[in-house]
Amino acid sequence: MTRLVMNQDGMAPWRIVRGTLCLLVAVFLLAPLFVVVIISFSSAPFLQFPPPGLSLRWYVQLFSTPAWINALVVSVEMMVPAALLATIMGTAAAYALVRGRIPGARLVMACLMLPIIVPGMITAAALFGIYRGLGLNGTLTGLVIGHTVLNLPYVLATVSSALRVQDSRLEQAASTLGAPPWATFRRITLPLILPAVLSSLLVAMILSFDELIVSLFVSSARVRPVAVQMWSNVMGDFDPTIAAIASVCFLFALLVLVADLALRRGPRLT
Amino acid sequence: MSTTRRSLMAGAAAIAATPFAARAQGANDLKGTTVVFASWGGAYQDAEKVSYCEPFAKATGATVVQDGPMNVAKFRAMAGSGSPDWDVVDVTGGFLEVAAKDGLLEKIDTKLVNVGRLDPRFVHEYGVGCIVWSYNLGYSTAAYANGAPTTWADLFDLKKFPGKRTVLDQPVASLEVALLADGVAPDKLYPLDVDRAFKKLDQIKAQTVFWTTNSQSQQLFVDREVTMGIILNGRVYDAAQKGAKIALSWEQNIQAVDYLVVPKGSKNRAAAMRLIDTMTMAENQTKVANLIAYSPTNLAAVKDVDPKVVPWLCTTPDNIAKGFVMSQLYWRDHLKDLTERWTAWKLA
Amino acid sequence: MEARLRLDRKAWLLLPAALTIGVAFLLPVGWLLSRAFTDPQPGFQNFELLWQRPVYMRVMGNTLWIAAIVTPVTVLLAFPVAHLMAHGSPQMRRWLIFLVLVPFWTSLLVRAFATAILLQRHGVINSFLLGFGIVEEPLPLLYNITGLLAGCVQVLLPFVIFPLYSSMARIDPAYMRAASTLGASPVRSFFRVYLPLTLPGLVTGATLVFVSTLGYYIIPAMLGGARQQMIAQLIQDQIATFGNWGVAGALSIVLLGATAVLLLLLQLTVGLKEIAR
Repeated sequence: MTRLVMNQDGMAPWRIVRGTLCLLVAVFLLAPLFVVVIISFSSAPFLQFPPPGLSLRWYVQLFSTPAWINALVVSVEMMVPAALLATIMGTAAAYALVRGRIPGARLVMACLMLPIIVPGMITAAALFGIYRGLGLNGTLTGLVIGHTVLNLPYVLATVSSALRVQDSRLEQAASTLGAPPWATFRRITLPLILPAVLSSLLVAMILSFDELIVSLFVSSARVRPVAVQMWSNVMGDFDPTIAAIASVCFLFALLVLVADLALRRGPRLT
Repeated sequence: MSTTRRSLMAGAAAIAATPFAARAQGANDLKGTTVVFASWGGAYQDAEKVSYCEPFAKATGATVVQDGPMNVAKFRAMAGSGSPDWDVVDVTGGFLEVAAKDGLLEKIDTKLVNVGRLDPRFVHEYGVGCIVWSYNLGYSTAAYANGAPTTWADLFDLKKFPGKRTVLDQPVASLEVALLADGVAPDKLYPLDVDRAFKKLDQIKAQTVFWTTNSQSQQLFVDREVTMGIILNGRVYDAAQKGAKIALSWEQNIQAVDYLVVPKGSKNRAAAMRLIDTMTMAENQTKVANLIAYSPTNLAAVKDVDPKVVPWLCTTPDNIAKGFVMSQLYWRDHLKDLTERWTAWKLA
Repeated sequence: MEARLRLDRKAWLLLPAALTIGVAFLLPVGWLLSRAFTDPQPGFQNFELLWQRPVYMRVMGNTLWIAAIVTPVTVLLAFPVAHLMAHGSPQMRRWLIFLVLVPFWTSLLVRAFATAILLQRHGVINSFLLGFGIVEEPLPLLYNITGLLAGCVQVLLPFVIFPLYSSMARIDPAYMRAASTLGASPVRSFFRVYLPLTLPGLVTGATLVFVSTLGYYIIPAMLGGARQQMIAQLIQDQIATFGNWGVAGALSIVLLGATAVLLLLLQLTVGLKEIAR
């Protein structure tokens, strides 16, 4: 009892600082979103804040343009497989690198991290060049491969840091007791790193959705994800249609996240 | 500038003299052919689609596929490979000169393209000018209600016209503006006196926000972040139409041209040329001007443009007289070094 | 014998990722980068050029400097959020995950514009500050290092928060309890026990931030000023405007070299700390 009180006394100032900082970060992260959503309902033809009046004209514009709908479909078709592939391969690689005794693991890790270090422009142009010979430019397959490559390092980084913190003796004990490696992984390792795996899956999807440079090179007029459609729009003019598509994505994100949280609720609380 | 104009005029005169046969072909003779048209996206490409591509498809039976946005690195990778995905591409004058020198373009076939319809200043051996745009002095009418700035010198006069400035984040046009403001005559501009230009720009550097995309140049005025700057005529028109308090001066406007080109190795070279020919027709250029207020290269197109739009075009007789065409040849040879120097200047 | 077999099995797991990165990334990019030595003619002329023209190395230094500012700011802001996420109530955790992920779904381009709208001279923040009499003149928040920092930190926060969170969530509260039972002050047990345990996540996050910042160019172009010129912009110029793959390759190699050295240093220091523990 005394210890608890003491503990709280010591922690109280930190709790206040932590709360304040979290609130600040929350405002910092959400304020631009509020601006975007509000502007999407603007009656003004500019990105103007606060808007002089409200209207739905930018949503009408958005949904009456087939290119935007098509772009949304392409984005989803591209980001889901790319994120899944990256998550599966990245998790497997992280497990091998952290748990296995692989000679030169650090070097291999560094090589696998390269896609986020090399400037996007270089990657994009290189893929574009290679794809030409294979007829992959302007195809969904081409986009998925490119994005899998770009997503992998993020998955690898997140999952391997989760694995490093986790105690490996549990796994060793399991395998000493005769559990086959796959069972050990599935029953012991995976549940422990699941939050990291799932969050890297989500992050990978988001990154794909947002990625512009590789998409710009590899896509074509018919297979064109949202980011490229947006860019193409921005090159011409910049009106609140951009805010409207952003708000639609925002809504979509809310739904995905709510679903994700609902799915994870059970195992998390136990 | 004078050398460019002279050589272009000589070239165009020769072209105009060649017999012209494109229209002799029958309708629907391109049925089954697909031409890929790439441009800059947005409202501009929509206007091009309606004004050039659709009339072309109707007249010849060809199918036109829209692609883009135009991207120089992508263009280079395509044309360099010898079998480009794009057949007709809308490029800037600056890139036209570079691409022509690097052998990335097909020569314009003057048997298929009636370049004689256009003002000779806008015709190139490897490309045909489709629109003209100009760098103008734009200013906030709210900030300068009593006495608007008119000349490039006013851009540098922080005493008489206080307020933040905006300049495009590249040496192209910015250096020309600085020299014009410093009293250099347009026909004495090239080769640029670079030291003098940078020295002039130093005067406003601390007060300047640099813009990188056209939409940003508009946004800066709408947000009242700046009160005066270098901006494209079409952008001032667009912002003013939408109710922004902005106006422009035509004094010494610097004109630049967008060209339609055919990447080297196009599988549909002849069809591509004929799409370009459709673009040169006055009625089609009038449509573009009405839709998006970009200025025609076929000067006959101006007379049918909506009278509300005409004052915003840079190829009306008045505005042509006040302006001059930027030397893309100069920039082809100096862009690399001057971009380096521009970056160094900004960091200093 | 058995031990070796097990090792081999784990190594197989590496194969898909290694193959993908090898074939779809290292091969094409390596070929492109090799042009630094071959384009326009074989030799080191592209590197000589970078050395001779001071502007390139200055921009390189500038880029490293900006990344060096962005990284600690992002980590400092991410830390309390990750901490609350890891040690708060499950409900709080869900809210925070939500909070961090949602903005992430909005295009970087759009968020940069929205941030500009907040920061501009007549923007929300300045109106607020002026309205409450906190400042008398609008603060210059945009088109300078402040604007750039706000943009980068905002985009990069999740990259630190998540790895940090997964490290923190694994920390057994018993450690901290043990430390305080043994008489360590909260501050002391934080620095001696807690912080070292978060290091893997922290380092991962900081590395991701640092490295991502090095490659940025949309944000500096939209929110930074004349002095916030970054290297990716120059690489993009070399490729897109000049088609100069040689110089672009050389610049990329320099960028990669600088990054590799930094990562190596980081690995070494953290590695040592881990051993010391």
